Amino acid sequence: MSNTKQPISNRLRSLPVASGGGLPSKTPTRRSPLPAGEAPPLPLLHQALHPPNPMGDPHLLSSAHPAAAAASARKHPGPIDERFSDPSPHITKRPRVAADAAATVGSAPYPEEEVRSLVIMAGGIYPLARAEALRGLAAVLEKAGTGCCDGAGIVECCYGCAVELMRDEDEGVRLAVVRLVGLCAQKFAARMDVDAKSDGDIMDLIFQQLSSMARDMCTKVRIEAFGALGKMQRVSDGVLLQSLSKKVIKTDTMSGTIIKGQKLPPKLKIPCAAGIFAHGIEDEFYQVRTAACTSLGALAKFSSQYAEKALDLLMDMMNDDTETVRLQTLQALFHMATYGYLSMQEKHMHMFLGLLVDANALIRNAARKILGLVNLPKLQMFKSAIDCLIASLEKNPEEQDIYGILFSIGKNHGSFSANIAKHLAKEIATASDGELILDRPRVKALIIVSISAPFSDDKHKKLDIPSIIFSHAISLLGKVSCALGEEVNQDSLLSYLCHKGGMPLWGNRSVSVEFGESESCKVETVEVGEQIENTAKATKCLDRVLVMQSVESILQTVEGAWTMRMSCDVCEARTILRTCKEELKVLAENSSGSIGAFLSFLCEYLDAIRLVVELWQLIQLDNSYTVGLTAPDILLEKLNISVRRMECCYAGLNRGLEVQVMELALLANLLGLSNIGACSKAVLSKLVWIINRLEGLCADGSCELSDFSREIKKTFEADHIGSALIRNIHTSVELFRLKPTTDFGALKAISGVLQVCDNNSENPQSYICGLPVGVSFNISLWNISSNHRLWLHMSIGESVQHTFLDFSSFEGDGEVKSGSMVVPLNTTPMAHSFVLRVCLIMECYGGISSNQERHGGPSDCVVQLSDELDVYFVSTGQR
Amino acid sequence: MSIECLVLGAGQDVGKSCVVATIGGRRVMFDCGVHLFCRGRSSYPEFDRILAASGATDFTAAISCVVITHSHLDHIGALPYFTEVCGYHGPIYMTYPTKALAPMMLEDYRKVMVDQQWEEGQYSYEDILRCLKKVIPLDLKQTIQVDKDLVIRAYYAGHVLGAAMIYAKVGDAAMVYTGDYNMTPDRHLGAAQIDRLKLDLLITESTYAKTTRDSRRAREREFLQAVHKCVSGGGKVLIPLFAVGRAQELCMLLDDYWERMNWKIPIYFSAGLTIQSNTYYKMLIGWTSQKIKDNYRAHNPFDFKHVRHFERSFINNPGPCVLFATPGMISNSGGFSFEVFKKWAPSEKNLVTLPGYCGPGSIGHKLMSGKSTRIEVDKDTHIDVRCQIHQLAFSPHTDSKGIMDLIEFLSPKHVILVHGEKPLMAFLKERVESELGMPCYYPANNESVSIPATKNLKMSATERFITSCASEQTEDNLRKQKLICGSNMSEANTDRKLAEGILLMEKNKAVKILCEDELVQVLGMERHLVQNEPMVSSRTGAAGE
Repeated sequence: MSNTKQPISNRLRSLPVASGGGLPSKTPTRRSPLPAGEAPPLPLLHQALHPPNPMGDPHLLSSAHPAAAAASARKHPGPIDERFSDPSPHITKRPRVAADAAATVGSAPYPEEEVRSLVIMAGGIYPLARAEALRGLAAVLEKAGTGCCDGAGIVECCYGCAVELMRDEDEGVRLAVVRLVGLCAQKFAARMDVDAKSDGDIMDLIFQQLSSMARDMCTKVRIEAFGALGKMQRVSDGVLLQSLSKKVIKTDTMSGTIIKGQKLPPKLKIPCAAGIFAHGIEDEFYQVRTAACTSLGALAKFSSQYAEKALDLLMDMMNDDTETVRLQTLQALFHMATYGYLSMQEKHMHMFLGLLVDANALIRNAARKILGLVNLPKLQMFKSAIDCLIASLEKNPEEQDIYGILFSIGKNHGSFSANIAKHLAKEIATASDGELILDRPRVKALIIVSISAPFSDDKHKKLDIPSIIFSHAISLLGKVSCALGEEVNQDSLLSYLCHKGGMPLWGNRSVSVEFGESESCKVETVEVGEQIENTAKATKCLDRVLVMQSVESILQTVEGAWTMRMSCDVCEARTILRTCKEELKVLAENSSGSIGAFLSFLCEYLDAIRLVVELWQLIQLDNSYTVGLTAPDILLEKLNISVRRMECCYAGLNRGLEVQVMELALLANLLGLSNIGACSKAVLSKLVWIINRLEGLCADGSCELSDFSREIKKTFEADHIGSALIRNIHTSVELFRLKPTTDFGALKAISGVLQVCDNNSENPQSYICGLPVGVSFNISLWNISSNHRLWLHMSIGESVQHTFLDFSSFEGDGEVKSGSMVVPLNTTPMAHSFVLRVCLIMECYGGISSNQERHGGPSDCVVQLSDELDVYFVSTGQR
Repeated sequence: MSIECLVLGAGQDVGKSCVVATIGGRRVMFDCGVHLFCRGRSSYPEFDRILAASGATDFTAAISCVVITHSHLDHIGALPYFTEVCGYHGPIYMTYPTKALAPMMLEDYRKVMVDQQWEEGQYSYEDILRCLKKVIPLDLKQTIQVDKDLVIRAYYAGHVLGAAMIYAKVGDAAMVYTGDYNMTPDRHLGAAQIDRLKLDLLITESTYAKTTRDSRRAREREFLQAVHKCVSGGGKVLIPLFAVGRAQELCMLLDDYWERMNWKIPIYFSAGLTIQSNTYYKMLIGWTSQKIKDNYRAHNPFDFKHVRHFERSFINNPGPCVLFATPGMISNSGGFSFEVFKKWAPSEKNLVTLPGYCGPGSIGHKLMSGKSTRIEVDKDTHIDVRCQIHQLAFSPHTDSKGIMDLIEFLSPKHVILVHGEKPLMAFLKERVESELGMPCYYPANNESVSIPATKNLKMSATERFITSCASEQTEDNLRKQKLICGSNMSEANTDRKLAEGILLMEKNKAVKILCEDELVQVLGMERHLVQNEPMVSSRTGAAGE
């Protein structure tokens, strides 16, 4: 050991003094690269030195105030002065900086940078700045996609930051925390969809954290927390059940406090979720109660056990003193009922039936709607419900929709209504003339219930309704058809009733037969349709899950129809395909966004399938190949258009859907081959292209090449001319399997709407014969990107003019663009008047087109984007 | 600094709540109640212990202020005695409604004293008036500077009209005394509400330390269902209740139900009730629940639509009705509720509800304890009880879940439980310590607990130190900026750096943080470096060979 003033050897470490002493001289040069969004390092230091004080002790704050520190530094000029005078304006502006960052997120190239700076700001000492930073994080998160891997890192980072501030002293910060955590939960859930990892632990943890926030003393925080709880997904049953009961449920699953090897903070060890909804529904503020009720109902779709217990709580809410809360509760119950998770029990009946005679019409109406969907397990409950409806009808005779509800209750409980019918028939039989007055609401109601029985779902039971009921029902025709809704024609209903009632048929026979037939045809779709329509009418905007349920069942029916085609029952298969498409259309009209796009895609798909079925039938019937434009040619062209539309009019087709379309294209071309009987070069090259594309799609193994395509590929490889293909065409087509996928990702429908300004047949536009004329259009385009090539297709009789549409000047965001433009029509005919037919078409870019450019016009492979529009013209001389 | 807590009452017990807390030399007395099951001096807290503990000669010097949380006798009953008999003349704080309700409550109790012929400890009506004159009323969330150091503030506690939780702070040491509170709102009172404060100590009541109650909604539903069944069967409902509080709540519940059902069946209030409720509730609307406050302008919720005055002649009227009557427990000795009970009990169509608590010996207690069908009024008369009985279970106290929620929300450094039964408190103490990790105590009466309190020290840092930390941070950030163009976000939350420095505490000087360099200068010493020369032992090598 020796004492020296200079270090001798580099190998030996001296005290770590040097690192602190050496640096200050360097700092001035290092100052400039601080980005605007970056938090200056100063506050962090102060944070470390003085943890935030809730009492806001003035002394502490002032000493910790960076500006004050900077000011004191300025008194001592020196090399460090410059360093300090700079960041102080930064600091005072901090809240605004955070807000700016949040606002300009979209343009930022590196969200990571933004998140990093916002996280640092969230650790600041000023509560307003902390809250603003959290809001900024939420904004970044909302913009960031979940798909990319760095997006995932952002979610984790935001979540971590939010959790740290969960127990902040400031209400505003806590409010922002709840919002951010809720958003993170959604992102996590979305990501798990992609990963297909059933890692629910993190969701349980978030649920518990949000639950603890839902006990906050601040009303706004509570409202927000309950809202966020309702949006949670993939929460385990144990936690859900715990959220209903204040008593801690002791199960093994509840003790899972170790998440991914990382212990929960001690605060969260107690089950925070305990009875959170029990607290929520007895909150002092009706806004909180409303939010709690909504969430209670929303979570019911994840667990039937939970739904059962949640019903108890929701039923208690019917005594709430605020009407809004009661209505919201009914809405939640309705929600549960549409998901089929509402199982009413005897103990609930007293409370629920009370609602049917409530003084408030809105409440009565909402309660009735629920009753129309719910399943009552006992005859006694069924009867009391019917009695209560009748009482309500007697009290409020103007509420005629009760008949409709009676019908659907009866339909839902076939055997119970058959029981009612039996008693009613006895009553009618024993009653002497004139005693049973049909005007009495009770009898009317009972008759409606009785005749609903044959429409019920439990077909396995033979429900015989005495014919006398039907003959009595005839006089109630108006009511019955009203109860059934608009879809049934009154005439056919009448003849049906006559038929069932054993009356001599008065109309033409065919009507009744038709109804009988349509009834059997309906059976397939009514199951799905009835339920959807009930809910569709009530909610207007359909829930995604619900729609997917019905879509799945429709697709099952379609697959069934396809196999039916095999057994040569083509007619029926066609009918089913048609009705299924109609159902889908109803759904599509009520949906929006990517699910709406998917539904219209499916409509297109079903159309194509129907065309295939029809075409196949024709080909099978008639094997001799004819020349000229025959019916198969027309069908084939339609099929091709349909396939092309599927290919081109949807943006964001995922792999599964694209494979589906390609296989259909393959099938269409194959059918084309078989129709012509010989292989043209164009068709063959198309086939090659499609097969290559299919192989490319399936290359990474995410989907498998179907037997159908593999078989065609094999035959094609063996014989390039394609004669073998035509020979084997039957076996190949037999191999085609219908496997519609329901995974549609972010599908978008490309479409356009064309409107002509101020023109109709009464008010035609004037022109001078032979001279050009300008037509002004309003055009709206959906999901069109700049690389699409659009044309205006204008035709007068045989002559056609194409005008390229330059939509670069159109206003709007990525989704909708709209604008108006004047398009010249180059030549007008020498006529007194004419009609111009206009539509929007889009060029398909892709391999299938034969790429023969016409002069100035689009390639021959186009799809029509908008409906055809008629523009009326009249010569100036004629006006 | 420390907080010294002397529990004079309600320690491992319910009754005569009184806690004297000494925070940084200031003594605050929270509540000053009587024990309802004791007589004479023993029903009061032992005030002399305060003098013994403080060494002062009179109470005014010993105690900085007295704060009363609410108007129940076990929290306010001993106040006139303390001020007028013991001679405390310092400030007394309570909320406006408590001050309004106090004379009535104290006068009731004084009558009991006279009835029971207490030998000592009585106070007179004038004492009550003189005492209440000294009271300084408090408003919610109003911060009061009692003296130079002591600050108190009241927060809403639910429980009863005017109940408050009290926050007290001296310097950096802060504590909250809850009094009785309710974490779930009812029809007319809101839930307890408090800010997230940084506390050294929380003194909380623990009446229901082990009970977890289910939703109040379920109890409401059961009550309404029972009433509905009885009334629609043509029966009469008797609801015996105490004057203020519960009666208003149930009445609002029924009035609302009647409105929805569109019923015309009369609801009666026996005479005394409406007058009291209207005077107090209309006056103190600001202390009721949110719903009432919201609707107050449009319609005073205490003007019940379906409620009428009851007259004695109505007792034998036919047809269904509902009647609220005092007193609550149906006592043998008389009262209006007993009179009606005699008439209505024999019919099985009728319904009698019982309040949550009935004193032993009352008819209510007998009905509650079992299926007694025959009640002897005196030697000659008896009542055949055939009517239905429904037990009400609405409590103004929070349950154990609520206590835990409050403790968790406030996250104090220490917890003291008062106002509860000993075994239950022991159970709750275990929970608080194991689940929340906070030290918890439940001292018995006249015991005292001392806990350490926060003291914040102001310190300054030299410019040199701040600069060095700042520049380190900047360098670090710059380095990271280059690194994270890609993906790794995980350490964004953890890149908080510790700053290294030396804390210098000199006599008579402010505390300072310095750099190491500066320390050398301050101490006026030269820097020494210690170097080690590594010595490789050659013997090990030799041994290897």
